[in-house]
Amino acid sequence: MPVKAISEYKFPSKSRQELYGDDQLVHVWWKDNPWFCAAACFRAPRAMPWSDFWSALVVPFFEEDPDWSPDQQFAFSIDGTPVEPKATDTFADIGLVHKGVLAMVRA
Amino acid sequence: MTTTPSPSDRPVGVDLQESEQNRAVIEAIEADNANATVRHMPGMVRVQAPGRLVINRESVEARLGREWETHEFQLAIISYFGHIKDWDDDQILIAWDR
Amino acid sequence: MTIAPKAPRKLSMKDRYSALTRDLAWDPSYVTNEEMFPFTNFEGITIHDWSKWEDPFRLTVDAYTKYQAEKDKRLYAVLDGFAQSQGHLGLTDASYLNAMKLFIQGVSPLEYQAHRNFAYLARHLNGPGPRFAALCQSLDEIRHIQTEVHTLSNYNKLYTGFHSYVWQHDRVWYLSVPKSFFDDAVSAGPFEFLIAIGFSFEYLLTNLLFVPFMSGASFNGDLPTMTFGFSAQSDESRHMTLGLEAIKFLLEQDEKNVPLVQHWIDKWFWRGYRLLALVAQMLDYMLPRKVMSWKEAFDLYFEQQMLGGLFVDLAYYGITPPKFVEQAKEEKEYLSHQVYWTLYQFSHAASFTTSIPTDEHMEWLSANYPKFDELYKPLWEKEKRNVAAGGRHFDRGLPELCSVCQIPMLFTEPGDPTTICQRHSDFEGERFNFCSDGCKNIFDHEPEKYVQAWLPVHQIFQGNCGGASIPDVLAWYRMNPEDGGEYLGSTDHQNWLAWHDMAEKTGGN
Repeated sequence: MPVKAISEYKFPSKSRQELYGDDQLVHVWWKDNPWFCAAACFRAPRAMPWSDFWSALVVPFFEEDPDWSPDQQFAFSIDGTPVEPKATDTFADIGLVHKGVLAMVRA
Repeated sequence: MTTTPSPSDRPVGVDLQESEQNRAVIEAIEADNANATVRHMPGMVRVQAPGRLVINRESVEARLGREWETHEFQLAIISYFGHIKDWDDDQILIAWDR
Repeated sequence: MTIAPKAPRKLSMKDRYSALTRDLAWDPSYVTNEEMFPFTNFEGITIHDWSKWEDPFRLTVDAYTKYQAEKDKRLYAVLDGFAQSQGHLGLTDASYLNAMKLFIQGVSPLEYQAHRNFAYLARHLNGPGPRFAALCQSLDEIRHIQTEVHTLSNYNKLYTGFHSYVWQHDRVWYLSVPKSFFDDAVSAGPFEFLIAIGFSFEYLLTNLLFVPFMSGASFNGDLPTMTFGFSAQSDESRHMTLGLEAIKFLLEQDEKNVPLVQHWIDKWFWRGYRLLALVAQMLDYMLPRKVMSWKEAFDLYFEQQMLGGLFVDLAYYGITPPKFVEQAKEEKEYLSHQVYWTLYQFSHAASFTTSIPTDEHMEWLSANYPKFDELYKPLWEKEKRNVAAGGRHFDRGLPELCSVCQIPMLFTEPGDPTTICQRHSDFEGERFNFCSDGCKNIFDHEPEKYVQAWLPVHQIFQGNCGGASIPDVLAWYRMNPEDGGEYLGSTDHQNWLAWHDMAEKTGGN
């Protein structure tokens, strides 16, 4: 439904992907761990392989939990659909759009 | 709330600053509203009554020992619930419409 | 107070009001009404007769200025007395002031915004009655921010975190919550603004904000804040009346207004309720001496007074309680705990401090919230072990934000307080995330409005907030290292201990 306004009301999104150049925003949500109050938001290159994303961004964030174990395995999903990222997968390969939410639970 | 109370008993009320001046106002409200109840909270007093609450200039003046215009109630009030149905030289009335 | 005996009056209150407001209005003769009032048509609201607007306060300009001056005199007498007597030393604890830091950063600038928009209404509403009421409210609101700043400036001389509230209000992540709320309201049309601020905020929800704040101040030794709060609230009862008259007026003028008003009530209840999440945690966590729990306040001021009182009246017009109100009722058990846990782990990027609740405080939380022991106490116990081992839970990154309320997405699913609620919509090929059905509903109704939201996390990642590292961003926020983080051992805490040791030593002289 359009905004009721005194003149044309059309403004670009302030979070659109092009504002991040070759990068995009990705949310990672550790669903079964209330230690983290909310999902984390990362900016990462769209071409970044999954294994790099995991080790360079995700682990340093979540290992702040004193119970973090590097051996912990996780099951992943996007909007309720399970995904199994491979080391070389990009976000596009696993279906993670700009500002998408990747959920993980302890496997 | 599971039941809808009838208009006559849904409470209305005012929150007033707890002060020396306002003691007379609170006493006047208690005297003029048979079912009024008073609850003290830090710094303030809540007066409520079922259905309607009235503040009469003459009752306040009698307790204050001086003239009091109803506009002065603005110095006392913190909040209220209900509608202000009427506010004239002699009386302030708070009640629900229905 | 010395108010001179009244001279006999020629006119009654009713007649004076009529003479000094409505009789001073005129009909334009060389422009049309539409040219004179160009902004009261585009929202689709139909008004047949502006003279039907009621103002039960019957306030006139002479009475207004007389009583406002008296209110200010009383307040400034208290401020002077408190400052001269070193009143700050009588607070329950320096940590109490965290609530006031949040207040001046988050709420006071909204008073200024309200001042501006009510000035606009004072010019642009067609009827002289509502124009005069809006003018008074505009003056009230500027008085509120001025008195709040004067009151809290005494603390700024001695405590951290108060110094850059205006700058921070426009930039800091948690302050984008109140800022965007009000930006949403002032960028709407005059009628939506009246329902948004005049009715939903000032009537439905204001008691939840102000009354606990002021009672909290009273209970924690903060006399000046209590006094400014009550002084502001005495104006607030007039604002409540304006909001209530506005809604009844719109509903009575034309049946076609009903669905528009209902939508605005739904939207602005939820917007306002989300904003009050900050108040919920203040009541349950930031006040060293508790007044009432958020749950009790919500039950008393919202469920009993509004749902049980007001909405019974509004049902006559076909108005129903706000959409998603059931969610708010359910959340009263969880809200404050979830929000404080969030502020706790992000307070290294805040202009206030946080700390683990003391044992006594946790007992109070357990006693007031049946789910506390199961859901939240284990987190604090874990954090105690973390702190004992030399840690402190500060998030190492940035959270996912809701695209409407801009709060980190910390709220949980209806019926499941252990799973975070995730909603999203796609608009013109782009994904937008929301914390709740309430916020998603608001977005879906007007996506064009919310796509332009300045979401702090996204802006930081775009490089618009001073740089890429946390120190860069904090410098851009004008936050000093001592302003945020852990309370125990902070500058305020250390000063507090030193002042009190000193007070004990010199006390016997």
